[in-house]
Amino acid sequence: MNMYFQDFKMTENNKPDLEKIAKEQHAIKLAQKEKESNYYPEKLEEFGLKTINRFVDFHPDPSKYMKLGITFGHKGMEPVAEAMANNEPWAVVSGLNPSGPLHMGHKAVFDELLWMQKNGADVFIPITNDESYVVGKTSSLAESRRIAIEQVIPSIIAMGFKAEKTKIFIDSDYMDIYNVAMDLSPHLTLNKAFGVFGFDKSEQGENPGTMFYRSGVQLAQILLPQYEEFGGPKPTLIPVGIDQHPYIQLSREVARKKGFIPPAELDLKFMWGLDGKGKMSASREESAIFLTDSPEVAKKKLKKSYTGGNPVADYQRQHGGIPEICPIYTLRTYHFESDNNVGESCSSGEILCGNCKNEAVEQTLDYLSDHQAKLPEARKRINEYILTTPIRSIFK
Amino acid sequence: MKLEQLLSQRGLVLQSPSAEEIRTRASKTSPIKLFYGETYDAYGNTIDSMKYYFFVADLAKSLKQEGFEVEPTILVADTAACRNVSSQLEYKYMTLGKERAKFVEEVNEVYGTELKVLRMSEYIDSPEFQEELQKVIDTCTGNPELMVKVEKSVPESKIEIERKKGFMYSFDEITTIIGLDVKIGPPREDLYDNIAREIAADRGEKGLMSLFLTPTLPLGMNWAYFFSNEGIENHGITAYKAGSKRLQDHRVLVGRMDSDYVKEQINQSFISENPNLPNPVLDVGIISEIARKRIGGEDTPVDLAERFYNGEIKPLELKKIVGDLVHEYVLSRF
Repeated sequence: MNMYFQDFKMTENNKPDLEKIAKEQHAIKLAQKEKESNYYPEKLEEFGLKTINRFVDFHPDPSKYMKLGITFGHKGMEPVAEAMANNEPWAVVSGLNPSGPLHMGHKAVFDELLWMQKNGADVFIPITNDESYVVGKTSSLAESRRIAIEQVIPSIIAMGFKAEKTKIFIDSDYMDIYNVAMDLSPHLTLNKAFGVFGFDKSEQGENPGTMFYRSGVQLAQILLPQYEEFGGPKPTLIPVGIDQHPYIQLSREVARKKGFIPPAELDLKFMWGLDGKGKMSASREESAIFLTDSPEVAKKKLKKSYTGGNPVADYQRQHGGIPEICPIYTLRTYHFESDNNVGESCSSGEILCGNCKNEAVEQTLDYLSDHQAKLPEARKRINEYILTTPIRSIFK
Repeated sequence: MKLEQLLSQRGLVLQSPSAEEIRTRASKTSPIKLFYGETYDAYGNTIDSMKYYFFVADLAKSLKQEGFEVEPTILVADTAACRNVSSQLEYKYMTLGKERAKFVEEVNEVYGTELKVLRMSEYIDSPEFQEELQKVIDTCTGNPELMVKVEKSVPESKIEIERKKGFMYSFDEITTIIGLDVKIGPPREDLYDNIAREIAADRGEKGLMSLFLTPTLPLGMNWAYFFSNEGIENHGITAYKAGSKRLQDHRVLVGRMDSDYVKEQINQSFISENPNLPNPVLDVGIISEIARKRIGGEDTPVDLAERFYNGEIKPLELKKIVGDLVHEYVLSRF
């Protein structure tokens, strides 16, 4: 008997009450789906953001993530759209914490950035090794820098970004970012910064570095493309998780004071972790497929993954699975499918979790093999992507 | 063309009373008064005004064919157009009003529309109108709920000026339309129409019927313009004022623009096969197609929208068709 069933009440003839088990599981997952489906619309309303639907309606070729509603909200995207449509310069900034190799959750964001680059964006990718260190995710600045150079940057390059329109910088190597942070600081009060970031003095891990990073350096990263060295001020788009909305709101205020164009916010749904306990995260290794995972490791993680299915196959065939909360569905739809076929097959009961996982393994291993084959060449090209432009305009 | 066919032309009629409701009114009121009123600005005559002229004329023709007596009128609201211009510009705007009235006459000649043209200045000072105006003002000012609606009929940007002027623009408009049968106009005019209907109902008189045509949209604007201007697909820009939202270079100005310029604007225009999205090219195409049918003596419904949305005509093909139609049957005729 499957261990899973041991927790359930047995019927008189000492067999598990499968229908009861199936119903209970279905109900639990439905409730989870309900919670999930309300979360983002409620946040949109709370923050006064707009859905991406209008953009999808009007753009001649919106991204897959937008069409599927994975990219779901925005604020202030109008100047970006105008620039996009008129072939005028615009930028996108998406930072990354190099505490470990990239995983498939990161890839989702980078796929969206690639679409933006195809639509004219200059892509700025700050590698925030200073943040990794000050918040205690790595043991030293050198350690997070090493991860960035050896693992993170080659993976980004291997995804297909064009060198001439991509500006990657490791914070601790690109000292100008700290000058820009200083330049912006007078436009923000401590009161405001405390209001947005908290900075609880008693909280473990808070230190002067986290304070300077969040309220200074992070703003500098967001507003960097608007300095004249990069042809600014210009429309800038910041893809974020919706929990980061207050930071973008703050940067919009500072941008106005500085005479820049308030950066637009683009909201992406997070990707479910394979453990079903929240978003895919490097801090829960079993939740993530890392782009450097071996086929064996990746396969094992996928096979063990939580799903939106039901422990009783017949019940799932009849009632369907719940793809909306399923990490395998999310993984396949985000990365390997061009439409929502997997979701439809799952909800109709046409496909069961075992087969779906097998297909996910095949697709993931193919991708990882292809990606990993590109890494040696990508490592040789790092210098083509690294930003070195000095920011002199702040000294005028 | 049968009344039912006229009222169900896709891409042209947004909202309409039923054919039966119009027939019932026509059978009780003779002649049935069909009306479209407009102001203007100094940038010229738009093809979008012609959409309304053609529709009023077609509605009149359709009812006449059924044996009803009809009075189709185009009002050039010259006095209203002068309300918000300086006294130095008043003469110029009154002259522009005459030019707009002349344009309607020209449309009558070219397309055989048989529309009666009336300028507001011709009746606004008459004792009959002034008496009716006073009654409307008394009714509205004596009813706080109605006054709220009068205020709402004014765009927010003009509310302070109108308040100082005692909402005379709105009262003139309401008084003008109160005794009409079918008023053809853009959807925004529902605000005036509702007040007029309410007053008429209070008096136990017949209420006017509103018939709205599709909103007017600018040419030569890309997808981002429409994305950024939320709601434009519902309210459009002002059909009869070429300079509405400073988009005079993105309109078809009859008698002022050459065909090559307009064709270029059409080529640069946003176009989508999604029927829920604005389609400025199709809009100009429908007007030009009506012009073609009138010149050719064809009394059949316009099916351009139907053919485009069922995939018979592709977007680039539509742009070419519309460019040729607007040249041949509109621009070259003035």
